[in-house]
Amino acid sequence: MLAAAAALTLSACGGSGGDGGKDDDAPKAKGPNLKGQTVSVAAVWSGPEKDAFRKVLDAFEESTGAKVTLVPAQDPIIGFLESKVAGGGQPDVAMLPQVGAIEQAVANGWAKPLGKGAEEALTTNYSKGWADLGSVDGTPYGVYFKAANKSLVWYNTAVFENAGVEEPKTWDEFLKAAQTVFDSGVTPVSVAGADGWTLTDWFENVYLSQAGPEKYDQLAKHEIKWTDASVTKALETLADLFGNKDFLAGGQSGALQTEFPASVTQTFTGGDQPKAGMVFEGDFVSINIGQTDAEIGTDAKVFPFPAVGENSPAVVGGDAAVALKDSKGAQALLTFLAGPESAEIWAKEGGFLSPNKAVDTAAYPNDVQRDIAEALIAAGDDIRFDMSDQAPQAFGGTPGKGEWKALQDFLKNPKDVAGTQKALERAAAAAYKE
Amino acid sequence: MSAREPALGSRIAARLSGGLVQFVLVVVGLFWLMPTVGLLLSSLRAPGDIAESGWWTVFTAPAQLTWENYQGVLEDGAITGSLLSTVAITVPATVLVIVIGSLAGYAFAWLEFPGRDWWFVLVVALLAVPVQVALVPVSELFGWVGLFETTAGVVLFHVAFGLPFAVFLMRNFFAQIPKELMEAARLDGAGEVRLFTRVVLPLGGPAIASLGIFQFLWVWNDMLVALVFADSDSPPVTVALQQQVRQFGNNIDILAPGAFLSMIIPLAVFFAFQRQFVSGLMSGAVK
Amino acid sequence: MADGTKTGPAAAPPAPARRRRRWTPVLFLLPALVLLGALVVYPIGYSVVRSVLDKAGESFVGVDNYVTLFTDDSIRTALANNLIWVALAPTVATALGLVFAVLTERVRWGTAFKLVVFMPMAISMLASGIIFRLVYEQDPDRGVANAAWVAVHDTFNESSAFPKAHPGPKSPLEKSEGGSFTTREPARAGEPVLLPLVGVAPDKMPEDAAPAAEAKADPGKVTGTAWQDFTRGGGGTPSVVDPEELGYPGIRVEAVKDGKVVAETRAGPDGTFALPAEADGAQLRFPADNFREPYNGVDWLGPSLVTLSVISAYVWMWAGFAMVLIAAGLAGVPRELMEAARIDGANEWQVFRRITVPMLAPVLGVVLVTLMINVLKIFDLIVVIAPGSSRDDANVLAVQLYDSAFGDRDLGVASAIAVLLFLLVMPVMVTNVRRLRKEARR
Repeated sequence: MLAAAAALTLSACGGSGGDGGKDDDAPKAKGPNLKGQTVSVAAVWSGPEKDAFRKVLDAFEESTGAKVTLVPAQDPIIGFLESKVAGGGQPDVAMLPQVGAIEQAVANGWAKPLGKGAEEALTTNYSKGWADLGSVDGTPYGVYFKAANKSLVWYNTAVFENAGVEEPKTWDEFLKAAQTVFDSGVTPVSVAGADGWTLTDWFENVYLSQAGPEKYDQLAKHEIKWTDASVTKALETLADLFGNKDFLAGGQSGALQTEFPASVTQTFTGGDQPKAGMVFEGDFVSINIGQTDAEIGTDAKVFPFPAVGENSPAVVGGDAAVALKDSKGAQALLTFLAGPESAEIWAKEGGFLSPNKAVDTAAYPNDVQRDIAEALIAAGDDIRFDMSDQAPQAFGGTPGKGEWKALQDFLKNPKDVAGTQKALERAAAAAYKE
Repeated sequence: MSAREPALGSRIAARLSGGLVQFVLVVVGLFWLMPTVGLLLSSLRAPGDIAESGWWTVFTAPAQLTWENYQGVLEDGAITGSLLSTVAITVPATVLVIVIGSLAGYAFAWLEFPGRDWWFVLVVALLAVPVQVALVPVSELFGWVGLFETTAGVVLFHVAFGLPFAVFLMRNFFAQIPKELMEAARLDGAGEVRLFTRVVLPLGGPAIASLGIFQFLWVWNDMLVALVFADSDSPPVTVALQQQVRQFGNNIDILAPGAFLSMIIPLAVFFAFQRQFVSGLMSGAVK
Repeated sequence: MADGTKTGPAAAPPAPARRRRRWTPVLFLLPALVLLGALVVYPIGYSVVRSVLDKAGESFVGVDNYVTLFTDDSIRTALANNLIWVALAPTVATALGLVFAVLTERVRWGTAFKLVVFMPMAISMLASGIIFRLVYEQDPDRGVANAAWVAVHDTFNESSAFPKAHPGPKSPLEKSEGGSFTTREPARAGEPVLLPLVGVAPDKMPEDAAPAAEAKADPGKVTGTAWQDFTRGGGGTPSVVDPEELGYPGIRVEAVKDGKVVAETRAGPDGTFALPAEADGAQLRFPADNFREPYNGVDWLGPSLVTLSVISAYVWMWAGFAMVLIAAGLAGVPRELMEAARIDGANEWQVFRRITVPMLAPVLGVVLVTLMINVLKIFDLIVVIAPGSSRDDANVLAVQLYDSAFGDRDLGVASAIAVLLFLLVMPVMVTNVRRLRKEARR
């Protein structure tokens, strides 16, 4: 098994070099022979993301002869896995979207460490920061196959042109731009309040930029409380936006019923009069823009999350592949996912960002995404992982509970900063205790 | 003479109120149909149209109707595949509950054994047990015996929770078979098995039909049990659709036609067998 | 022969047959009893035991998990919602069922109506949930509930042409009571004023809007211009009528002195207006009705209404059940009794109150109890209909049990909820057992 996996690694590294290499027969990844074996992979993706991932798995099937089934999982994935592990029906591999989920999977004894082949691929192709994120107590478990740059604001260029607004660099400029867009007759910002994770991302960007990375790490580990003054300040800053009914598409109550995909599509449909001018979220927004008629790079552009403090924040997220069974197929798949070909397949589909250094950025479908990807690789270890994804799932990753719920209540009533902090601290205290 | 006039007056009043009643019922009937019509028409509109306007615009602009969503769902195969999974769960779960329920019903009606009535009461009492109680313990149990995430596991779970009603219904029905008939058959030397298969079962037709309809609809429409126990590689249609609900607006082009496809068979069964369905209801078939 | 059969089937069979017969009941019952024992009875015992153990199932925690049921915010919401459900859903469904059953009796096509109302019972909760997600869409252009609601609302309240309009950065206008805007300084006759507003996109202007013009001075009148002080693409000067900017046709202007309206008018297509001489020295005000926003309907799935909305969907599904059972009961009510009452001069309402309902009382009881048990297990509808942001507000025990078991992985709390659910249906089980035993004795 190890030999086979190592062979895959070698060819994977070989393929990372050239421009013309893709259509070349010689260095093409030829995986271990897994004919007749089945590998099951659980992921929460649906829609176009699922389709793109399926293409990646098809390539794996082609090179190894294994049959890969994609198991659709529900949020929270840890809970989903729990229900499967209880009966011994867990998939071979799970795509875990949170650092906290990896830790929980390890703590529960479900996760299997990376095999030699996969580990080699990981150290060759990934920066130390990303490798560490997939490790628990020094043992590597996860391969970050897909990354997200969550510090981006996408805007409808027609709206900005009509309002005569430039891309804002700071939070004050951002609010001023929002006001001008509003004056021009368009609601400036689309917030996906129905999906709590987008709200945690809003908070994290403001907090990371305003309070700085040190505080950010402390809060992520719950070493400082959510009632801390730095949190008060960040929430008050956020209330500059959330507290202004005119700035939010549909007002606060409308935002609370807007799901993430709708928050994007409503920003890029409706010609000169979309329901909103800007929408905040990661690079994966491009997938949803792809479902509208808007063209990325001309109709839809992106600017970095405005700096609230000194620097613009760089919050990232990612999905790590973790083996849940000691099977040859599982390890071979992890090795494959740690190599550049797999990432290039999805990169071509769009809405994808790889933390893999070896990936040829020519694979990205447009300049906007290429820039985002190169910025991510360049950021090196200055990145901060999505805080809610580092938190225990009960706090940072469960619909209708914990941080999601507290921030949704905050969006409903942005005046109640103290109440929000109390609710956050209560939920955090309960979740981190365990 | 004075007796006639109020009669005439009340007849007019009755005629008037009869008209009012008809009107109210028509309005309520339309109101009741509207949500389903909304789903049907939405399933026949392109996702872009759904995002921008309501299904009622179809009445003024029928040109927007399209098979696109259905074609997409059929081509993709995920929903049609899940419908097959639903059939693969529903049919055995229905047949087994009829067989096992009839066997036990017969025993409770015609066989003598100690504590018979107590056992019967105990089994029927289980009718009210919520399935939720069993989710955690049974997933563990199925894990031990390798039934977790298998069609067989889901089927057995549905059979077990269908049994109290099945036993109740079949026992009461069999108990009405004339004693003379049974005695005659016994005197002819028929054993219990023969008696059961040749005499009792054929007579049980109506009860079996009621039971069958009920179990069929219950299992076909279940989501919770399948969510926990079904093989996630080939989930039944309810679970497959539920996974799309997370992004409702985004997946409406799958959800609307998928939901409608999932309704066709139970609705057909319902319309074809409403009499049996109602008689099942009468005997307390609601879990 | 009749005498001989009295002792039943046990009448003196030959010895080997008797032995065989002793095993026959076991064979007939075994499959049912094994399944029921393993999958229904055992879980009850398991839940009771598991509910007094901790999350991991390793140590005894006494009633801690039960205390959690009443201290955890989400679970308390679930309990409260369950109360609302049990109190509301069965009664409303039964009441509607009763009304429908009585009304359909008088109509020839009653069966057709019954089929329509009864049909949702054949649909899965999941499909019904999807159906009602569509009904409850917030946007009145898409959700039929809000479309109807807004249509009714708008027949009484007109919306205005300039919803989001507001004073721009350096405007002489300021916010005044009730959403109106008033000038800081009084206006003078013969000195035209500029009243710039922003926030209405050119494409959303009324069709008759013309390029804005500065008003001409007229010594006998107070004149001015109300316009969209925003040049598309930027570049316009604030508080200056730039060439591309449009007037606010038809916007209402009032002249206010000491809180009293002394004159009022509407602006022309180019935004100019003229008030009579009385307006001299008055402050100018745009009353709030210029800016009334289009009514956006009700938040059916918002935190405060979501439970009621889901209950309505449930009633849609189950009123037919109540109707059919009650209609069957109604068929058993003796007609003579009603006729006799009518002849005695009772009106329809009295007949309904005094005869129909009391005669139906047993059926109504059965329907109510059945629905109450059913309502305790409600799961699919809530999971499907409630959006993420109000999922917690729609929480009920059955959903919480699933979340606790498979989300939080706290089998202790999940089992405690299971036991609680079981206890709640216990009274019904006991009544069933009593009734059955009575029947058996008869």
